[in-house]
Amino acid sequence: MSYQNPQIPDGVNYSQDHPLKDFFLMLLVVAGSTAALVALLFMLSGYLVSFIPFSTEVALADSLVFAEDNTEGGDVNQAHLPEQKYLQQLAAQLAVAQQLPDDMSITVHYVDDDTVNAFATLGGHIYMHRGLLEKLPHENALAMVMAHEIAHIKHRDPIIAAGRGFTIILALGSILGMGNSDFSQQIVSHTTSLTSLAFSRDQEQQADAEAADTLMQHYGHLSGSAALFEILQQESPVELPEFLSSHPVTNERLQRLNELSRLQSGAVTPLPTALFGVSSQ
Amino acid sequence: MDIIIFLVLLSVGYVFGRLAESRHFNSIREREARYQKILCFSERLPPPGPPADTVLVSGSAVIAVDYFKMIAASLRNLIGGRVHAFETLVERARREAILRMKEDAIRRGASLIVNVKLETASITKGRKQQAHCVEVYAYGTAMVPAEKV
Repeated sequence: MSYQNPQIPDGVNYSQDHPLKDFFLMLLVVAGSTAALVALLFMLSGYLVSFIPFSTEVALADSLVFAEDNTEGGDVNQAHLPEQKYLQQLAAQLAVAQQLPDDMSITVHYVDDDTVNAFATLGGHIYMHRGLLEKLPHENALAMVMAHEIAHIKHRDPIIAAGRGFTIILALGSILGMGNSDFSQQIVSHTTSLTSLAFSRDQEQQADAEAADTLMQHYGHLSGSAALFEILQQESPVELPEFLSSHPVTNERLQRLNELSRLQSGAVTPLPTALFGVSSQ
Repeated sequence: MDIIIFLVLLSVGYVFGRLAESRHFNSIREREARYQKILCFSERLPPPGPPADTVLVSGSAVIAVDYFKMIAASLRNLIGGRVHAFETLVERARREAILRMKEDAIRRGASLIVNVKLETASITKGRKQQAHCVEVYAYGTAMVPAEKV
């Protein structure tokens, strides 16, 4: 038997493709298909969830959390009854202006803490924090915030968001399963959250537009409605880039509103004094 | 914020990983040329030749995976197909192990190794069993020419 001792050829056992090209191709495939799947599921679940009747949503909300905010006579809210009444009245007026469907009802809760926030959740509950209310200069600004939240409820945004979240977790959980690797799950979850933020921004824009219409209907003009966005700009001058945030950029919201209000103007309605510890300007 | 950290780790892993890999391959090629004359056989029995003493020689190499390779491999786990990232890794480890075995043989004065075998192990970390390092162990029987008494 004769043997040879050749030089072993190099590069037989590995590919000469550039690793970055390989990586970006895979990333494109995975992120692209995740985004497409998530968008599809979001659209479908958003459409289907809005068929859940409002009464079911109210029952769900009642069963979930809000034990201490019993407006009928919990000790917590006795101290703030005037604020509560005023807000509830304003909400009722704005709901009429917005033509809220008859089966939907709004319950406003006044929360006595410094958080600068107001939000709408399941069952038609709106929570407004003293921190935000103190900063609003007049009733028109307050009405803008209120109308924005009522618009969310009118569009069924809280239950749509909950339904979408649930659908996505279920779907991705079944597809990825326990996951043989933790890193690709990170990529998929980042893509999912970026896609869901885009849908959330869309909801916010529609709520803004509806709120502007409501104010026009109720007051006949849009003066003072931009106050909220001006305050937000003052509060946080540096913002996250739009694609990372659940709301559109404050500047854009301001501009859209200014475009709408260019047509009419009028006198702003002041807030009732001695409420929320604020001096009306 | 998570995304930024992720991207930073990814680029650091990629840059340093590629650097280490190309330096290692250059070293491997240079030493392979140098040790060309040490013959390795996978057969159990040596070819006929002068009387020789036998001794076990071995070499092992442990190569770690960098962050970029781990991400690329986990994406590949979703899609399927050749894991290009790990191919170079195992190739380097294997060739390095064989070279170290040859160096061991040279130290003992042998120029022939028979019954060469390779064993690969992955050193994993944590519950999720992700491959952290790969280890290749090469061993064989070196034929040291017997001293003429």
